[in-house]
Amino acid sequence: MTVIAQGYNGFETKKAPEGTVLYLPNPQSVLTLLRSGKLKEHILLVQGGTTTFLSPALSMGAIGVITLSGAPESHLGILSREFQMPCVMTAHLLDSDSRYVTGGNNDAHFQSFISRLEGKKVRLDCSDADVAKVIEIA
Amino acid sequence: MNAFRKRYEANDDGLRFQDLSYYGNFKDMEPVRDGIIGDRVMRSRAKSKVLEKVSREEVLKDQFTLDELNDLNNYLAWNIWDVLVMRATEGVSGMIPRQEYEILAFMNEFYRWPEILRMTTNEIGAAGVMEIGASAKRQIGVKINAVHDWCIGAVGFGMGRCGLLALEAIKPQDYVEESNEILKFMQRVLWGKRQDGYILNSQDRYRCAIHDKDFIESLATQVEYFEPGSEKAEAFTRFNASAELLAFLDHFDNRLGLGDTGPYELPDGKLMIIRDLFVNEGAYHWSDVCDAAGVPHCYTLLLVVDPDSMKLDEIRVNDISTTFTRPKNYVEHIVGGAVFVRETWDTPMSDVHQVKIDDLGERLDGIRQATVGLYGKMARMSRRQLITAGMYTYYVGMIMPHLRAAGTYDKACTDYDFWEWDERVSGYYYDIGKRGFAQQVVPQKIFSGEGYLPFPDGTDLRRSKYFWS
Repeated sequence: MTVIAQGYNGFETKKAPEGTVLYLPNPQSVLTLLRSGKLKEHILLVQGGTTTFLSPALSMGAIGVITLSGAPESHLGILSREFQMPCVMTAHLLDSDSRYVTGGNNDAHFQSFISRLEGKKVRLDCSDADVAKVIEIA
Repeated sequence: MNAFRKRYEANDDGLRFQDLSYYGNFKDMEPVRDGIIGDRVMRSRAKSKVLEKVSREEVLKDQFTLDELNDLNNYLAWNIWDVLVMRATEGVSGMIPRQEYEILAFMNEFYRWPEILRMTTNEIGAAGVMEIGASAKRQIGVKINAVHDWCIGAVGFGMGRCGLLALEAIKPQDYVEESNEILKFMQRVLWGKRQDGYILNSQDRYRCAIHDKDFIESLATQVEYFEPGSEKAEAFTRFNASAELLAFLDHFDNRLGLGDTGPYELPDGKLMIIRDLFVNEGAYHWSDVCDAAGVPHCYTLLLVVDPDSMKLDEIRVNDISTTFTRPKNYVEHIVGGAVFVRETWDTPMSDVHQVKIDDLGERLDGIRQATVGLYGKMARMSRRQLITAGMYTYYVGMIMPHLRAAGTYDKACTDYDFWEWDERVSGYYYDIGKRGFAQQVVPQKIFSGEGYLPFPDGTDLRRSKYFWS
């Protein structure tokens, strides 16, 4: 097991959800996931830290989320706490210096993260007050 | 003594909730931090007394001095940074072009609100505007609340002016008279609501305990207590989260659907937060899916938190009506709750009724049905439709509660074309898409508190803008 990424912790929790990382690029992919009935098999990976994009997934019981931007003060951070759903925010790879820049062009940063994590089996460790970790388990 | 109570001691600096620092218009001075110490430093830099406790007579005066206008501008810029700089990191939504609708709304508000707020003040008088604020003290489920009241000045004046300065559409000496109109309206509503001399929660160590004592005591008798982790606790917290999600969604992913007040300390030392969740705003056409799902205008939740079990270190109910704590996870420590229903925005307080936690199941189904329905509707909207709808949730939604309370909403619609865009802002729709203006200016100038230029010394208080080039 290796810690491969980390970010802001949405809230502290002992919950440590496991699942296969699934990147959701658009609303259609969210709806497709819901129709598949496999929502709870996945840790969801999204670019933004906003709420609306993931609304139905949150409502239907998503088990964990990784975002590439945003903070606990963002709407998704607030809602993850309310739903008690572990959430790693503005995650970055530990073996890379690339970081999210607010208002900047982050396309390459996002793409390298998505390529590294999509399809990987991971566990989220959100027990620390500030830092949340993404652990590769297979 | 529980650590959070130390935050209310006169010399306590509070905790830092973030690592960033604020400079604003004080680039040659020490940087300012967030929280209680930040409030103290910003107030110490004021030239006037407008940020201290002010009297009713002061608030009734029609004109701020130039120093007062600049002190309010500087303080609001810090306050905006304090509550929004971390939110600003959230990037694109993947669904709603939020930065785009936000900046258009900011600018439309700055251009259009002054004459509508002036008309409202003329109709009901300055004291009547203060009464709008005071009306919130004995009600729940009303949008006369911290975030809406704050938005009048922080957004309509502060962000609107900041956005137009960044776009180079106006200069720092423009629109002084209109700025005074907006800020006076904000000051009067907020002062009337708090009635302790302050206007903002950050001035009072992030307390927004605005309800009357006997009103709180009456509400508290209706709290249902439970064990954390019990079936009843799960039902209550699940309902809270689901209703909060729909409140965000119905307001196009902004904070206007959520209104916390508190913390109110109960006789046994527990803390109560009153949370209004506006899950069906009837003014918006997309809320038809909420109607179809039987969702009322507002669910109000009482959340009782045990500060001892969570080892609470600080609690902030900030000026955009949102509760944050350290440690962050207060949900595990909710030991009691209650849910109330306000069917429509104008339902009398006497008709607001309680729903027992055991009876929330059907209402939760309605919330989920509305959430999925609203999502499907938004997913089919074009970019232009999403920006237009989102813009209305700000430009109309931020002052609609005050106009309704004043009885001037219909007049604003018929005589002032309230729901129309200013022609200049319609043109800006295209400008903000160029060179990433919206994505860069909103987080880097507006939410960072960096673009809030002062009115220059000696500016005429009656100055507007008559020359366009």
